[in-house]
Amino acid sequence: MEDEVEEQSAQVLDPTKFKILPGASEDGSAASFQLMNEDHTLGYSLQYVIMKNPEVEFCGYSIPHPSEPKMNIRIQTYGKISAIDALESGLDNLIDLCDVVEEKFIEQVNSGNYKSEEP
Amino acid sequence: MNRSSEQGPEVTIRRVGREDVDFVVKDMDLALANSFRRVMIGEIPTLAIDLVEIEINTSVLADEFIAHRLGLIPLESTLVDNLLFTRDCDCDQYCDKCSVELMLSARCTTDATMDVYTRDLMVTTVSQYNNYDNNNNNNLGQPICNDQEGKGILICKLRKHQELRLKCVAKKGIAKEHAKWSPTAAMGFEYDPWNKLRHTDYWYEEDANEEWPKSANCDWEEPPRENEPFDYNAKPNQYYFTVESAGSLKQHDIVMRGIDVLQKKLAGIIFELKVLDETSEKSRLDTEFQGTAYGQTPNPEYNWN
Ligand SMILES: [Zn+2]
Repeated sequence: MEDEVEEQSAQVLDPTKFKILPGASEDGSAASFQLMNEDHTLGYSLQYVIMKNPEVEFCGYSIPHPSEPKMNIRIQTYGKISAIDALESGLDNLIDLCDVVEEKFIEQVNSGNYKSEEP
Repeated sequence: MNRSSEQGPEVTIRRVGREDVDFVVKDMDLALANSFRRVMIGEIPTLAIDLVEIEINTSVLADEFIAHRLGLIPLESTLVDNLLFTRDCDCDQYCDKCSVELMLSARCTTDATMDVYTRDLMVTTVSQYNNYDNNNNNNLGQPICNDQEGKGILICKLRKHQELRLKCVAKKGIAKEHAKWSPTAAMGFEYDPWNKLRHTDYWYEEDANEEWPKSANCDWEEPPRENEPFDYNAKPNQYYFTVESAGSLKQHDIVMRGIDVLQKKLAGIIFELKVLDETSEKSRLDTEFQGTAYGQTPNPEYNWN
């Protein structure tokens, strides 16, 4: 899989960024993933948002070694959806949540409804 | 998905200062609030001096000492998105597409001590990205001089006949690599000011309530009632942020770019997932028809889709 896909879109593709670790179940309802160059910033939020999904039985993340920039995330579902689908919807949900916060923040900035100190 | 409220998180800006913004986010999970905090401190790209070529240094300070001080100077970074990271650039060390050059040249000729300030640093890159406005300092790489006199930060002092002449190369980077790239000078983050959740444990001699000052944010939440039983189901729900800019980015920019950085990370993973999906789908089909796809073996770990 490493050099199978060449850079074809505007987004730079990093084939080492994401991989599926050994230990996935036959039916795909449980799997572990490894993300390069990610840490608690993403891990904890992702774990939280994936666990919010009622189809997900378990989600946990770990950073196996502090000197390696790797983050592992394990997802087990009740079987109705695959672990990879749970991951994807978790990512989508987090993006939506960020959108809401950013929108509300900009709204607040524009409303000018706050105390301010003139420079 | 289940959000704690239908509308999702609520944001209230309480105060905007010259370099800081103070806001409250409600109806959000601690995990995401902490992600925002972390990303604002550590992962927003800014510009900072990364390479220093010292031509003359006859000051009392050592070369590396001055180089370190220069690195920590906040540089105007609002337009930093126009620059590439050097690791993504075609050049060997640095070029116009991934860096901004600054010069410093100072020589003391009088008996009085000469002070060298950051305003003495001159941006020398004539970049297409710099919009040289006459009246503002929106130019990429311009040292931030927010003090009253507009001198900026004191870099070093020179005695008579001492001289400092050097060239700096400012590069784009993030604070995860070196703290000099952090856009935040301080990041306030608090939740549960009454400590109802018992996430912290106050050390005390006789009475913690007497000995510890109350947080200013206590006014924003109900104080605990006398002998209130501990609610083990309670979760933090309200977060108090104070983002103080170091100068390189405006405080509002830090918040918005922080969220953007987080979203880009997420989008990047979705993109990798899609590619993985496509390639495994392709290789699965290809194995059915003609063996292996492009001479690759399909990943046995991923054949259940
Ligand atoms: Zn370059």
